[in-house]
Amino acid sequence: MIRARFLGLAAALALLAVGLGVGPASAAGTATVSVLHAVPGVTVDVYANGQKLLSGFTPGSLTDPMPVPAGSYDIAIFPAGANPSTTQPAAEATGVPVPAGANATLVANLDAQGKPTLNAFANDVSPVPAGKARLTVRHVAAAPAVDVRANGTPVITGLTNPNEKTLVVAAGTVKADVVLAGTSTVAIGPADLSLAEGTTTVVYAWGSQSAGYKLAVQQLSGMSSAPSGVPAGSGGLVTDRVPALVVGVSFAGLLVAGAAGLRLATRRG
Amino acid sequence: MRLRPAVVVLAGGLVLAAGTPAIWAGSRPPTAAGPPLTSVVASNPVPPGPVPRPAAGASDPVVHPADPLPDAPMAAPVRLVVPDVGIDAPVDPVGVIPDGLLQLPDDIRRVGWYRFGPVPGQPQGSAVLAGHVDSWNQGLGALSRLRSVEPGQRIAVTDAAGQITRWQVGTRQLVVKQQLPLPDLFARSGPPRLVLLTCGGPFDERLRSYRDNLVVVAVPAP
Repeated sequence: MIRARFLGLAAALALLAVGLGVGPASAAGTATVSVLHAVPGVTVDVYANGQKLLSGFTPGSLTDPMPVPAGSYDIAIFPAGANPSTTQPAAEATGVPVPAGANATLVANLDAQGKPTLNAFANDVSPVPAGKARLTVRHVAAAPAVDVRANGTPVITGLTNPNEKTLVVAAGTVKADVVLAGTSTVAIGPADLSLAEGTTTVVYAWGSQSAGYKLAVQQLSGMSSAPSGVPAGSGGLVTDRVPALVVGVSFAGLLVAGAAGLRLATRRG
Repeated sequence: MRLRPAVVVLAGGLVLAAGTPAIWAGSRPPTAAGPPLTSVVASNPVPPGPVPRPAAGASDPVVHPADPLPDAPMAAPVRLVVPDVGIDAPVDPVGVIPDGLLQLPDDIRRVGWYRFGPVPGQPQGSAVLAGHVDSWNQGLGALSRLRSVEPGQRIAVTDAAGQITRWQVGTRQLVVKQQLPLPDLFARSGPPRLVLLTCGGPFDERLRSYRDNLVVVAVPAP
């Protein structure tokens, strides 16, 4: 089950490498990875390549984005304090490719049937237009398909575990809730979501029926764009264009001088 | 002796021809004062893109609850004063209009603060205040006198909490609108700056628009 999941994980990261145009121009050999714990009820230690990365990592916790060397990672989560050499991991994934320049979130969560698993998601950190925010919703709960509503209006429909959908929306605060797909049966929320301008806000619907469903929020900043221009005048009252009067007076002076010069020349001759 | 009036007329005509444009040009403030814009704002040291917070080390990542984030509280600027040129204008928060251009207050006596960027006095980035130089139906705008600002002059911005930040003009430049370094002028990171924007340069009657933007960049007053 978990091994099968890993295929999805590897595919996601491979797509990430292609999608982000990762190449030599990217920060040489570094990727950015965050880790989210979305398995209810169990505190874990997270291991990367056999080394403990996080200890006592509690459900609903998120790391800051961590710069990590690009490469291949074996990820495993164990119940907190367990000896990794003698204990079965709660979930594991081997040979996860983390390409240079990638920005990803590694999520420990339940699949739709309630089994612990690991998923890697590529975070879209490309610029958004001025005044906008990017909203990504990821379904990582042991639950069927859901719709996501903003201020009561469905904005994402039919989202299933472990998939995501992304929108670019006007920046601001929205009242968000999650309902069972096609119904108005609220599963999570409503909660006030601050979609700050120039950010990617990632919302995770996580949990299970028995443990309860919750929202986790991850905000990545630095995607802002400048306005496209500053139209700040329509009157022409302070124009630098030479006024017609000035041109006219100058031209008249030239004519008068020309006439006088001509007269001088003819009188002399 | 009969030649004299003609000489006088010739001289007078030439003086008129050359003097009128010269006097007009002399009555206009120079198009620029201070160092070029590129040397002032193009040195934004932080490239665009996500800013990973420095990790304390692979063994010690920063962990926090993934709870919905509250809006960061901030005191918006409410008043802009440039005493040396007689600017004293109320300030409103503004965003962008649907085509991506900066929004400005409808009342041209008011100045807009770009609310998605830094607040004046924030430790990082450019706080942008923009106002009309004029409009076709309201006359001269709040920033019509910005053209007379000189490097070294002071600017004061008051926020909603009554706090005043003080700035010193570094440069004033007219820049053709298509050549404006917008990402640098609206930078979210880098050294703290105050950027004042309005319109200027030759006016195109057909487009009802100025060719240039007038840009004043100020740094925190010492």
